[in-house]
Amino acid sequence: MKINFITIPSLIFIFIVSIFFYLLLIDRDPSEIPSVLIDKKIPEFKTNYLSKNEIFISPENFSNRITLVNFFATWCKPCRDEHKYIKELSKKMEIEIIGINYKDDAKKTIKWLNELGNPYSDVIVDKNGKIGIEWGVYGIPETFIVDSNKKIQFRHVGPINKKILKNINLKINEIKKND
Amino acid sequence: MVAFLGNTALLLASCLAAAQLFISLKIDKYKIIKYHKFVVLGLLLFTLISFFSLMYSHIVSDFSIKNVFENSHTTKPLFYKISGVWGNHEGSMLLWILVLSIFNYFIYKLYNKNNLIFVSKILQNQAIICLGFLLFTYLTSNPFDKTVAKFSNGLGFNPILQDPALAIHPPLLYLGYVGFSAAFSISLAALQLQDNEKINWNIYMKPFVLYAWSFLTIGIALGSIWAYYELGWGGWWFWDPVENASFMPWLLGTALIHSLITLEKRKSLESWVLLLAILTFLLSVIGTFLVRSGILTSVHTFALDPSRGIYILSFTALLGIYSLALFGLKEKNYNKNNFFSLTSKEGTILLNNIIMIILCASVFLGTIYPLAVEVFFKNKISVGEPYYNSIVLPIMIPAIIVMGIAPIMYWKKDNIFKILKKSIYPIILTFFITITFFYIYEKYSLAGIIGIILASWIISNTLIYLFAKIFLKINTNYSIGMTIAHLGIGLLILGATGSSVWQEEKIIRMNINDEIKINKYNVTFSKIKEISGQNYIAIQGNFLVQSDGKFITNLKPENRLYPITQIFTSEVSIHTNLSRDLYLVLGEGNSDDGWVVRLYHNPLVIWIWLGSITIFIGGLLSVTKNKKTIKNY
Repeated sequence: MKINFITIPSLIFIFIVSIFFYLLLIDRDPSEIPSVLIDKKIPEFKTNYLSKNEIFISPENFSNRITLVNFFATWCKPCRDEHKYIKELSKKMEIEIIGINYKDDAKKTIKWLNELGNPYSDVIVDKNGKIGIEWGVYGIPETFIVDSNKKIQFRHVGPINKKILKNINLKINEIKKND
Repeated sequence: MVAFLGNTALLLASCLAAAQLFISLKIDKYKIIKYHKFVVLGLLLFTLISFFSLMYSHIVSDFSIKNVFENSHTTKPLFYKISGVWGNHEGSMLLWILVLSIFNYFIYKLYNKNNLIFVSKILQNQAIICLGFLLFTYLTSNPFDKTVAKFSNGLGFNPILQDPALAIHPPLLYLGYVGFSAAFSISLAALQLQDNEKINWNIYMKPFVLYAWSFLTIGIALGSIWAYYELGWGGWWFWDPVENASFMPWLLGTALIHSLITLEKRKSLESWVLLLAILTFLLSVIGTFLVRSGILTSVHTFALDPSRGIYILSFTALLGIYSLALFGLKEKNYNKNNFFSLTSKEGTILLNNIIMIILCASVFLGTIYPLAVEVFFKNKISVGEPYYNSIVLPIMIPAIIVMGIAPIMYWKKDNIFKILKKSIYPIILTFFITITFFYIYEKYSLAGIIGIILASWIISNTLIYLFAKIFLKINTNYSIGMTIAHLGIGLLILGATGSSVWQEEKIIRMNINDEIKINKYNVTFSKIKEISGQNYIAIQGNFLVQSDGKFITNLKPENRLYPITQIFTSEVSIHTNLSRDLYLVLGEGNSDDGWVVRLYHNPLVIWIWLGSITIFIGGLLSVTKNKKTIKNY
């Protein structure tokens, strides 16, 4: 069959529709944003602890264990929603969780953590959002997994839910195996 | 009870749409009007019943209906309870169907003794579209689904959707999209006609296209106004996938209007118009699909149910393959007389068409490119403003230059020197307008100069045409509607250029009594207080604006908290006049450290909205004129 000018619209149309079908049928999350920081060393920064009178220095103060870095704030409703999953993750003995309190008020945060429970090994403050910029944070909550070599291995934008929790657990196991 | 009524009406409407299709296929042509009258009116009646049942349920807050429970709340003001009907996926589909059946009725009204076969074929195609959307709504997005438990109040709503512009934005946009469905059906009907049944189908299509295009324009403009007032980002157009989804049919619609004129006057471009009409509606449906399936992320957070995506995509595929195949098979019947001179009116219209197609293709590419990359390279990228600004805007320039002179050119063949001679007055006027603007705003950049010259060019030309036509009573070959619409485009370009090229932005942290200067205005943060509204509490800042010691206004931006959903929003405060907007957003903060304040000086923004309204009026004037053509035919 001769392909003429007239059949071109149909071909383009079929091609585009196939792409759409494919994207609908595969299991995908359009809000997932890969980080350019993946496989890179964690950013360097200095800041205060929320309730300790010491200075936190990155990367020095990161331990040699797998670490979850979670950006949160008391003014952020989804952060409250994901809190129970963070608590669940904190039951894992092999990992540490560092909470970065983003553009928030210290008193409110302490009250918030007292009310909901504190799953974090350490809470450090990012008063003006500078650390957030270093990590390329889009909006909170946002969660990163850092391996024992202090390299970022995973990033999730938005609140953790059941499905994401499963992904995070899988990722942690995978990193453990590679270590 | 009301839910049952609405649901049954929806089901009956689906049956009637199927009947409408069947009647067109089977019934003898002399009885067809009688049968069609029955089903078309029935379809309209049942969709009205269904739509108003849902509206009633929203007004009385009947939380036994899932749609009301999820999207409404007793504390919502009545106006937003009503607009809440189409502020969600299911309800908006019902509105879409209502608009479809209204257009279906107008198509039925075209029947006369000379066009029986043609109109019955249009109704047949329209029935397929109605049926597709009715079944989609009934099966996958039924607004009358019940909740399992009893609830005393709803899940509230999205407060940023509580905005008058947004409340009427969907209905107007749908009048646009659905109007293009009529053009689509007319195009298919023309292709389905036998050789001996040929008819001047283009005069039937033109009012629908003009109508659709005008409403699409005003619908897009209202969406833009909402983004400008409610999102608080200082801008009014963000090249978001949803905006693109409405902009692409607008571009093709623009091409369609112009080529229809050529077809009417010169009997050429016939097959091209048929294809354009098909593509315009297909793009509208693909746009709906992109928005509703959640395949792209955007400011519109509609439902993310994959089964809906599959259904609507399958339906789009069906419509697309059917219409494009029909076009491929029958197009040669209409493919003749396609040669003409470039220096003639039809030559410039052809140029307009080519540019609109390139623009639309560029926007389309930018919108779906990230998806294609994801499929083929497993990589995520995003295409944003820099792409559109550097690709789309330069392509528009030749189209706008031609737009100035095309209306006064002659059909068939014109002389380039005569055209230049006729352009002397507009060129002089353009020169003066441009100089005036740069004298006032004193800011020079390439983009600014180009934008202002182009805007002045269109404005001067159209003003001179209008003057010649209205005051000098010169008999011309252009219409008032067209000229007014073109004037609107000129004003829109003026506003768009001014607000983007000359925008000034200041973001600082301010305490009470701090002062900041933007452009020639001194803005003083005078006080901050707590206030409460009907369903929110807020802190409200008070900013005193002065210029050379003279009082201009008090800007009162708010940070609101809606306790029902724990959502924070910021209400922008804007002072508008003909030359600029002062736009102030109150950010986070406290009394010790001060508040983050974003202040914009946006020149000429109001001309974007005035321009859009002018285009709308121009379009409607042309509809009235073209409706008469059908009656006299």
